[in-house]
Amino acid sequence: MSIFSKLLAFDFLFILLSCILYVLFGQITVRKLRKNPKTKNVLGMEYASGWDIINVASALAMPRRLSRKLEKGPLAYLYANSDLLFENTSKFDRILGAVFYWLFMSSSFVCVLLVLLNYLGVFDG
Amino acid sequence: MSEIILTNQLLSRQSFKEQCGIELSQLRDIHGRTPEFAIGNTPYLLEPASPVNNRPSTEGLSALNQLAPMYISRDLTNLSLSYGSDNVLALAQIRKNLYDFGTASVGASAGFHGNRISGFIKAVQEYQNALMQFREAIETKSPHKLAAEQKVNHAYKELQNKFHYEMESVTAQIKSRRGTALSNLERGKNIVRSSRNITKLDVTSQAQASEVAQFAKYTKFLGNGLAVIDFTSRLGNIQNTHKAGGSWHKQLFIESTSFIASAAAGTMMINAGSYGLGLLIAATPIGWVGLIIGGTLVVGAAAGASLGANYTLQQNSGNWYDAIMNALGI
Repeated sequence: MSIFSKLLAFDFLFILLSCILYVLFGQITVRKLRKNPKTKNVLGMEYASGWDIINVASALAMPRRLSRKLEKGPLAYLYANSDLLFENTSKFDRILGAVFYWLFMSSSFVCVLLVLLNYLGVFDG
Repeated sequence: MSEIILTNQLLSRQSFKEQCGIELSQLRDIHGRTPEFAIGNTPYLLEPASPVNNRPSTEGLSALNQLAPMYISRDLTNLSLSYGSDNVLALAQIRKNLYDFGTASVGASAGFHGNRISGFIKAVQEYQNALMQFREAIETKSPHKLAAEQKVNHAYKELQNKFHYEMESVTAQIKSRRGTALSNLERGKNIVRSSRNITKLDVTSQAQASEVAQFAKYTKFLGNGLAVIDFTSRLGNIQNTHKAGGSWHKQLFIESTSFIASAAAGTMMINAGSYGLGLLIAATPIGWVGLIIGGTLVVGAAAGASLGANYTLQQNSGNWYDAIMNALGI
């Protein structure tokens, strides 16, 4: 196996792990929020079904100042309402959400980066 | 060229001849024998009797073989009877074109093509549904016959409007003298008016026979003649590998890893993009035009990342599978 293939495989393990966390976070935290009438309608836009899981995770994982800024902007309907979510989640939910979100974002970012570098011929030499 | 005869009921020698003017002795079943009865939902090969040799052509038999499984031939018979057989050939071709296109583009962009395919299927369903209602109205001499005919016109127009290019490219190839029900509304209505229960399918090539078989396989016939087609390209790949005697476990591994990676890549790009866009629009006086351009860029980047991840994973994960299997000593 080439170095590229090994790196990609290593990164894929993290993507897989984040997919497991995605299911767990969806079942543990987001299911609760979907049932809660206070938070039911503030989970952000669902581009595809299940996207609210990502919205909630990003609202819990992003710095509060950034989320507040975004939620006041004209595209607020895209994002979950972080203030309401913080009121209605436990510390465990927030940690789970943050771990899932950053693992997912970073591992898939690395995947895209590797694919791009490979495409540009960095690993050919 | 093979002509395939399909019927939806058991017919004796006598009634078969009365209904379509062909002697039963001209037909061949899947084993190349002449049938005693025409059995419903069973494809038969029609070949002109040649004095030199009494064996049916191998191509014809092979085409028959592909269409013979009960779950294919039953749907195929129903479809041919309600759409007209030229129509089934055209639909099979369109399905294949859309399917090939869909297989070539996966991940985030699959959503778009998925919409296109399901839109096409829905438009065909509506046209068929309208035709079936029209047929029912004629048979029961219902006072709503005119309304039903209007509905057929409307559904046909919808189909033409939305899928003009696909239909034109396909119906041009068929070159039927009468046109197909897809290219010609009157033809569609005439097929409905003549309520037959025997139909003939002109299969011109091996490839076409397999397209038709695939089409029927993806088509489930519900009670009132509603055709539902579902597309599962990745499952299809796995199944094909399995059928071809390949390592389908490996194919399953490749398809699922590349699916996960392409979905993750697309999701990440869209999520990052929507944050970037949100910040941009909050910080600068960028208007709606900028938003649309930005949104298009985000979706394009996501589709590119998703396609790239899918392609790269398809190339690499086969090796991973082999390495894992080696390490486990299996």
